[in-house]
Amino acid sequence: MTVPEKPAPLAAVESSRTADSGPQTLTVSVGPQHSGSGHMRLIIELDGDIIVNAAPDPGYVHRGIEKICEVRNIIKSIPVIERPAIIDSSNLNHAYIRAIEELQGVEAPVRSQYLRCLLNEMNRIMSHLYWLSIFGVFLGHTTMFMWPLGDRELFIDLAEKLTGARITHSYIVPGGVRRDLPQGFADEAIKRIAYFEKRLVEYDKIFFNNPIFTSRAKGVGVLPRSEAIAIGATGPTLRGSGVDADLRKDEPYAAYSKLDFGIPTRKEGDSFSRAIIREEEMLESCKLIKQILKDIPAGPIRRKAPIVVPRGEAYSRVESARGECSFYMVGEGGDKPYRVRFITASFRNMSAIPVLLKGGHMADMPTAWWSVDYWPVEADR
Amino acid sequence: MSAQKTAQDQDDVLAMLADSINVWVGKLSEIVQRIVDVGPIRSVVNWGRIYSLWPVNITTACCSAEFGAASGARHDLERFGVLPLGSLRQSDLLVAEGTITKKMAKRLRMIYDQMAIPRYVIAMGDCAISGGLFHDSYSIVNGAHEFIPVDVYVPGCPPRPEALEQAIIMLQEKIRHSKVYERG
Repeated sequence: MTVPEKPAPLAAVESSRTADSGPQTLTVSVGPQHSGSGHMRLIIELDGDIIVNAAPDPGYVHRGIEKICEVRNIIKSIPVIERPAIIDSSNLNHAYIRAIEELQGVEAPVRSQYLRCLLNEMNRIMSHLYWLSIFGVFLGHTTMFMWPLGDRELFIDLAEKLTGARITHSYIVPGGVRRDLPQGFADEAIKRIAYFEKRLVEYDKIFFNNPIFTSRAKGVGVLPRSEAIAIGATGPTLRGSGVDADLRKDEPYAAYSKLDFGIPTRKEGDSFSRAIIREEEMLESCKLIKQILKDIPAGPIRRKAPIVVPRGEAYSRVESARGECSFYMVGEGGDKPYRVRFITASFRNMSAIPVLLKGGHMADMPTAWWSVDYWPVEADR
Repeated sequence: MSAQKTAQDQDDVLAMLADSINVWVGKLSEIVQRIVDVGPIRSVVNWGRIYSLWPVNITTACCSAEFGAASGARHDLERFGVLPLGSLRQSDLLVAEGTITKKMAKRLRMIYDQMAIPRYVIAMGDCAISGGLFHDSYSIVNGAHEFIPVDVYVPGCPPRPEALEQAIIMLQEKIRHSKVYERG
């Protein structure tokens, strides 16, 4: 069998193109009004169906949170700090409070450390489920939009029981946490987690092992290990490229040093590996919640901490659902910090988006792009 | 010479005829509008509008998380006819989900202008009402009403999905009592 030659008219067109003005490309603007963009814009340069160049245009949700923190006292800033990653609010809250505690020299009681981890892990599951539902709808899989959002409510109810708010908990405060475990929380939580673990098996059947999904995600949007390290990717994006890095293990904070859990990693670096890692992380988080509820020691949940930011600098970081989130704080003795700077995981993972998209098909754009779990509100701050 | 003149006359006559036709068509449409707004056609048209409120795919800030939860399995906005699919030209509803930054405000106005009439706006969250938590920020607009007309406000930071559902029901009630040709 011989390869058919290119038809003459097309070849003529191609030669005229190169002769006149070089290869012609089409620039497409995706977002912010687009079902596959969220609150940001991607400027994509296309040659036919192939993406030649992709540039993210963030800043649609820039609200100047760092500046707002300078004019409010540290307690009033807690809800503001939570808003950027509203589906993963307690992890940002935790990082912020850890920076304050470092400056104040206050250490939270052991029981509150466990409670912080409990809420962090619940938030991780909630965030991953939200991501999964949007991933489902991007791929046209409506069942995968409905199921995770329905199961997310299981954990939202639990968090509401514990903290009083659905998604913006403001639970972690300097010196501890706001509330103790309510009565009957552990039983309810274990019941719900048992149900959720069964659901994850069903997720495997309908989505993760489904050829409709695997054929669209495997080998799409590959981020090689060396590149992931070079651009400073973090979280599941980094672990999907075969780097075993998780702050909960590498630099244990709160109660994580006393808990036993695994860090899922994959070598492929494609969209599928990043997706499956999040599913495995949800299982690990379930394990962690069960351990916390079993091991949690009795004792006080809050130590008195002054509403003062002492003179000095502090740096803290935690592993949020999307990766490393770090706070840098400078105090000058008042009740307001002199400067707050924070870098979120989405901001760091934004550099990965052009690498993932380049050379791929336009039709694969939503898969590759959303597999990073880029939450624009968090990146813009 | 005379042939030219007659041609000009003919043009004048045609223009006059077109004008009078326009006037008559205008009057006719006025009559039709009046009939529609009085008769049972109005309730049928409004019934159609009430149960096909398709929102635009635009998210302005973090309230989108609760909008997502409201579209999901437990709350399921689709039972009210709110289906977050479809293009801008086919949508009726614009939900300003949270803080509107100055950069986003321009796009939001552009989107509102491109939507086909009838179009409705829900301002979701404290930030879309008055700036909320970020009222003193340098980069936000204090409320959606500053650049688009708002039908229903939903307070909360973020509002619970139930609050959004109530807003949808209130908007439906508003549409039920509105005239077909009222909105321009």
